[in-house]
Order: sequence, then C-alpha cells, then structure tokens
Amino acid sequence: MAPKPKIRELLDESACTHNKTKKAACNAPTPGATTGGCAFEGAQISLFPYADAAHLVHGPITCLGASWETRATRTSYPGRDLTQMGFTTGISTNDVVFGGEQKLLDSIAYIVEHYAPEAVFVYATCVTALIGDDLDAVCKAAKQKYGIPVVPVHAPGFVGSKNLGSRLGGEAALAHLVGTKEPEVSTPFDINLIGEYNVTGDMWQYTPLLEELGIRVLSTLSGDGRVASIRTAHRARLNVIVCAKSLISLTRKMEEKYGIPSISLSFYGKRDTSNGLRAIAEALGDADLVARTNALIEREEARLEEKLRPYRELFKGKKAVLNTGGNKTWSIASALQDLGIEVVATAVKKATESDREKAREYLGENGVLMMDPGSEQAKIIDATGAHLLLAGGRSLYTAIKKRISFIDVNQEKKKSYGGYDGLLNLAEDLKNALENPVFKTVAKRAPWEK
Amino acid sequence: MGEVIRKPIKPLQVNPIKLSQPMGATLAFLGIDKCMPLMHGGQGCASFTKVFMTRHFSEPIAIQTTAVTDVTAILDGGDYSIVEAIKNITKKASPSLIGLHTTGLPETKGDDIRGVAAKIDFPLVHVNTPDYEGGLESGWALAVKAIIEQLVEASEELDGNKLVLLPHVSLQPIEVEKLKEFIAGFGFEVLALPDLSTSLDGYLGEKQGSLSGGGISVEQIRALADAGLVLSVGDSMLGAAKALLEKNPAMRHHHFAHLSGLEATDALVERLLAETGFQKPPASVIRWRKRLQDAMLDSHFSLGQTRFAVAAEPDQLAGVCASLREAGGRVRLAIATVDSPQLVKIPAEKVLVGDLEDAENLQDDYDLIVGNFHAEALAHRFHKGLVVRGFPNWEQIGNQLKNDVLYEGGAYFLFEAANVAEAMRAATHHGRD
Ligand code: SF4
Repeated sequence: MAPKPKIRELLDESACTHNKTKKAACNAPTPGATTGGCAFEGAQISLFPYADAAHLVHGPITCLGASWETRATRTSYPGRDLTQMGFTTGISTNDVVFGGEQKLLDSIAYIVEHYAPEAVFVYATCVTALIGDDLDAVCKAAKQKYGIPVVPVHAPGFVGSKNLGSRLGGEAALAHLVGTKEPEVSTPFDINLIGEYNVTGDMWQYTPLLEELGIRVLSTLSGDGRVASIRTAHRARLNVIVCAKSLISLTRKMEEKYGIPSISLSFYGKRDTSNGLRAIAEALGDADLVARTNALIEREEARLEEKLRPYRELFKGKKAVLNTGGNKTWSIASALQDLGIEVVATAVKKATESDREKAREYLGENGVLMMDPGSEQAKIIDATGAHLLLAGGRSLYTAIKKRISFIDVNQEKKKSYGGYDGLLNLAEDLKNALENPVFKTVAKRAPWEK
Repeated sequence: MGEVIRKPIKPLQVNPIKLSQPMGATLAFLGIDKCMPLMHGGQGCASFTKVFMTRHFSEPIAIQTTAVTDVTAILDGGDYSIVEAIKNITKKASPSLIGLHTTGLPETKGDDIRGVAAKIDFPLVHVNTPDYEGGLESGWALAVKAIIEQLVEASEELDGNKLVLLPHVSLQPIEVEKLKEFIAGFGFEVLALPDLSTSLDGYLGEKQGSLSGGGISVEQIRALADAGLVLSVGDSMLGAAKALLEKNPAMRHHHFAHLSGLEATDALVERLLAETGFQKPPASVIRWRKRLQDAMLDSHFSLGQTRFAVAAEPDQLAGVCASLREAGGRVRLAIATVDSPQLVKIPAEKVLVGDLEDAENLQDDYDLIVGNFHAEALAHRFHKGLVVRGFPNWEQIGNQLKNDVLYEGGAYFLFEAANVAEAMRAATHHGRD
C-alpha cells in the first residue's frame, strides 16, 4: 500500500505559483480571520463526482451532515448516483474513546452489501485522524475481502485548506487507482480531464466537440467519472487540467511516472474555449487534428456569434464590476468581455498570484484590481457608471443602493456557463438582470421616509 | 403511541438528517445582537456551517473559526488559537459578545475552554458542543443554557409583566415572532432567547454582515432574571429553563413540548388566561382558532386517507406529528435525528432514531413525507408527496417566513399538507390512466 502523502512535500510543491511567493504560509490559517473550507472538503470536491463509488466519511456528523448533496455535479452513470448520497460512520463518544476502526470496517461491509459500488473512498476527518484510526489497514483489509478498490483519503480538515485537500484527494486516486487496469483500446488522442467536476454539466458543453474531433476522454478526475476509467488513466497521451491549479502536483507526478505531459486551461467564455480546444489539439501534436480543430472553432464561433446577435445591442456600452474569488476573478471577466461588456473592476482579494496576473491580463491597464472590494466597489460603480454588479449575496445592498442590476455569482448555479453554449446561458441571465426592474423598485423610499 | 426504536440498527448513517451540535450552538448565538459565534475546531466546520445557514436563510451569516491546524492540534490546548482568534475578530469588528463553542477536535484532545475563557478579558460565553454527541437541537439548547448560566444576573425582583420565551432550534424566525406576538397579546412584554425573529428573518437592511444583526441584546439577557414567567417550548429547552430558574427561584415556569396544532395552542391559551386572569384571549386569537377548526375539517378528508412519514429534530417532529394526527393524518413513521424524551409522546405508529435510508427502506408504509430538502430525492424516486420542513432547505426560498405554529400557522400547515397529498394523488391517477 502506498505511504501517506507527505503534507510538507505537497505544500512545497514546486509547480504551484501560489507558493513561490507565500511558501508555507499556504497552510497557516489565521484564527478568527479565516474563511474557506478545510482539506476534507477539498478532497470531497475532487473525488465525490465518481458516482459509481461510495464515499464514506469517517468522522462525526459535522463533516458530512452539512455537506452531502451540496454540489450539482452531474453524471451520466446509469446506476444509482452515489455522489448524491451521504455515507458517514457518524462516530460517537464511544468510538472516540475506544477507536472507530471496527465501526469503519462494519460500515464498509454494509455499503458493499447494500450498494455494490465499484470502489469505496474512505475519508479521514479531524477527530478520526487525531484518535489514530488506522485507515490504511482497514482499507487494505476491506479491499482484500471484497475485491474492489477501497481508497483511504488522508485529508483531515486540520491539515489545511480546500486546495490542499483537492491535491490530497488527487494523490489518493493516483496512489490507489491510476495504473491498476488497462484500457480495452487505446487511441493516439486519449486525454484525461483533471479538475473538471462537471458542476451543472459544465463539461458536457465541450466534450461533444472533443468527440467530434476524435479526441477521446479516457478518464476524468472526476466529473462524470467512473472508477474503471480512472484506473486506466496512465495510458492517456495528455493530461488536461481544467481551471484547477491545485492539481498541478498530481499531473507533474503522472508526467514523471508515466510520461504524460499536461496543459492547463479553462473552458469559460468564447476565447478560452477556442484557445482550450486549440491547445489540446496542438499538444496532441497532430497536424491534421489541429486543422480540423481550427475549422471546428471557426464554425462554432460563427454559430455562437449568430445566436449572440440579439444580445449585442443590449450589452453595448454596458460596464460591469465583478466581485468574486479564485479563478472566477478572470474567467467570468473573460466571458463578460466575450459578450461585449466592459469589465471595469474585478476583486482579487481572494485570488492567487497567478489568478491576479491573469486578471490583469484580461482587464488591461485601466481595469481596477480590487484588493478591498467591500469598500472599493461602491466608489468604482459611481466613478465608472457601471450598470451591473456581479458578486456574492453580501453585496446585494450595494447594487440596490446604487440602483444597478445585480447577479449573485456565488449562488450555487443551476445552469452551466461553460463552453460556447454556456455563454448563451450567461447572456440570457445578464439580459434578465439588466431588464429586471426589481433593483430599482426595492430601492424606492418607503412612504413614511419621503 | 407506537413502537419506539432508539438504537440504530446499522453501523453507519446513510443519507443522514442529523446535524451537528456546534451548528446548533452557532445558530443560537446568531439570535443575539452583534454576536460573533466562534467555533473552536478545524476551519472546515465553520465553513460548512456558514454555507449551510447562508443557503437556508438566504442571508449573510456571521461566524468565525479558531482554525485549528495539525500543528496547533498537537501543541496548543486552545490557549493560542482562541486568544488569537478573539484578537483578530476584535481588530475588525466590535462584537457585543463572543459565542465560543467547540467541535469534536478540541474535545478529543481535551482543551480546557473554560480555563481559557477565564483568562479572556472580553464578553464571552463558552459551551462544550462536541459533534460526536447530540445534534443540532441539543447544541442549540446547550448554548442557550450556557448563555443563561454565564450572562444572566441573579435577581430577587419580579416583573409580572415580563415573560421569557425559550424556543427550540427548529422554530423558524417568523414562528418565534408569531409566538412573541401571540403572548404579547395577553399583555406581556416578551423576550425570546435566542431571538432569530429579528436577526435571521430576512429583511433588507444595510448589513455589515460581519456580526449578527438584530436578536436579543446582551443587556437584555443580563436582566432576564426578573421576569415573572418563563415559557419553554420543546423538551430540549428544559435544561435552559432550569438554569434560568436558578437565577431567580421565584420565577414561574410553564413548559410546552411543542406549540403546533389546536390542542397544544389551547394549552398555551389556558395557561396565559390563568396567569393573567383574562376571561378571553384577544379577538384575533379567537378568530384564528375558528379558522383552524375549519381548516381541520376542510383538510381532514384528504389527511385521513394519507399515510405520512415525518423526519425531523425531535421537538419539531413532535409538533408536526401532533398537528397532522389531530386532523386525521395517519403518521406511520416518525424519524428523529437523535434520541429525546419527546419520542415516547409522538403520535406515530413507529418512531425511530434514524436517517433517510431508513425512510427509504420503509417507503411502502407511507404516501407523503415531511422532511428537509434531502427527502426530495427520495420523494422523487418513489413518487411520494413532499412537504419540505426542517434544516436544511436549500431548494426553496422563504424558509424564514414559513409558519406552522399556533392556530394560525397550524391552519396554513394543514392546507399545505392536504394540497400536496391531493396533488400527489392526482399525479398518481394520471400516471395510471
Ligand atoms: S475541519 Fe475537520 S472536523 Fe471540521 S469539517 Fe473539516 S474534516 Fe470535519
């Protein structure tokens, strides 16, 4: 069995631009001034989308009770979607005192008997890591007994952030699944999609295009993923990281071990989608494929342009302020620009160094990168005459006060903004926001305040 | 009363409805004005809680974490992370109170939060709420008890007009408000502890968002012990009521297992009449009782042919089941998140401490399920009617204004349940055509 990944080693991961500037500080949240999830949540995000695997959370109820059925990751798996189920050992005082290993073993047995999953992922959490339950031993025993992969995931919350946890989740898949099975057939155009979770079906916006080009998605980590296919991931020709810097360490290790090169891209907005498709084709290094890809891009862009035409007039001259975090700081900006909307400012407070660099690139010299969006955004709206604020719910009042339209970008979305067609969804939502009188109506003074 | 099964029949929880103690404590602290709930544990617990509450109430939620790491988990006994957290919180905001509550992690390593709290020179209430014990309801109740023990000043005075209401965790903001107004109608000045009715009721205001806004004030809490009457609602609140009575044994206390439906509301009115010496309640109360009677008759035909499963926190479970049963609903299955003295009183054929997998395994027994939004998948799978109640409900908006209590809320609830049952039957018949 593979040893537990070393936390320090992961933190010093050379491929992470975030870390170049901030070294180990990535791992030290400030008490009383921390937002954001724990490593366990990150691991959950990176592995939960395997709908044919059971995900068993070994810990007290906090970890799973509030987190199951939270993410709209979609799957085409015809069996029961285990992603949308919650399994937890829900340990009690007794387990804390006497150890929870037996309970864990019994729980795995129960799951195998009742749900017959392709694999079981077992997640350590703070309490079970602290009391020293030997996940590796339990998983090994269960694997032998039931003949399916039983994967220990060592990302208890206290080891760090969501990002670190996503890495640890990826590491677990690499250590226990990748390379344990051979694909039935191989093609020269086999790729793995890494870090695409198919939230709201984002991935299905572009996978039909890949298919049309003859590019085969051999496996994913983990959107619409299957255990059987991630086990064959070592035979891919290319790893494609979709908007997930935290998984760079994983692809670097796959390159070292299996010689699979990797590229990193995003499928958000028209330009990024086109660039992404082109980058995949070029990386696969086939001249004919590149030519076909360019033709497809041309066709798709023309088709999209046609459909966007009714929106263009409405969006002309419109300005937007964007207040979000992570890669959304630039990916949504890019999509807005594709729609002809000027992005006058974007918040970079919660963005990594490389996200900031990208934001600067997309917004140009005149765009404002807000370090303190809470206090800056109202002023910028005044100064630029912005028409739209895209932010989290907390900023709604700013929009009301400024009487401009508002879109909650942090709300769990129900529809996809990814790929070419996702841009149409975004355009429709923006149109609806701009035409909605509610922001002005609710801003009216009450009769007794006049 | 039917069979009560308290011991889980399997080693794990599958599709749990249970939520954690620290989350309940957080919610209690959010019912105090300008409070900062501080969860002592790994950062994820607070993050999950924040997202959870934000999505349920559609409101910004104030919460902070001591962000215990692998390093502090071993080296720190809470001294560093708690003190540091308070330092950082007060740098940016000026809370009236810090609500320190634990999770399983610091409890496992044995942090002495009482000892740490004693060294902190800032208004603070501390409470032990390990998440490997109890659940949402007990976490809320423990926090309220701690708030009372640590803040309320003992008194020998009595203000006959003043009444303290101790609501259980599942009462939504509007329900707390309705209870306050109902009791105020009898001439009382009502203070609810905690009071979500003015903090998480969903109102448009210029919110800072960094602290809770609205709710009962710390000053009001300190001065609660001169109230003539204490009303506790939900068996989980008995401990808190007892703690309050210790601050002034002269206070009179009335307890209600729940305040849903005709009989329970009648019991409350009877008490209030006896306490005030009034002959009659306010006219609107009389009117609403008649409306509820009518609602019961209007809905009884539908409810009487419907078999229900209800899944909820024990105190809410008791109320929902009573309300359905007295109008003829056949409650076949009641699933509680955790054990509680309430369970033996619930008018259901089978009461069990369990999860939604249990509800799924017994799906032949009922037609309509009342439960949190996780029950939606189950209802969909097996073509059951669904009435969404309890935490969390992320699929619908307006949770904070859903009112099921007293005569008024009871009427609305029965209408909703009966309408869902009818729609379900219509859909099934349609399917068969
Ligand atoms: S911080 Fe630890 S205990 Fe809290 S949710 Fe994350 S893994 Fe669970």
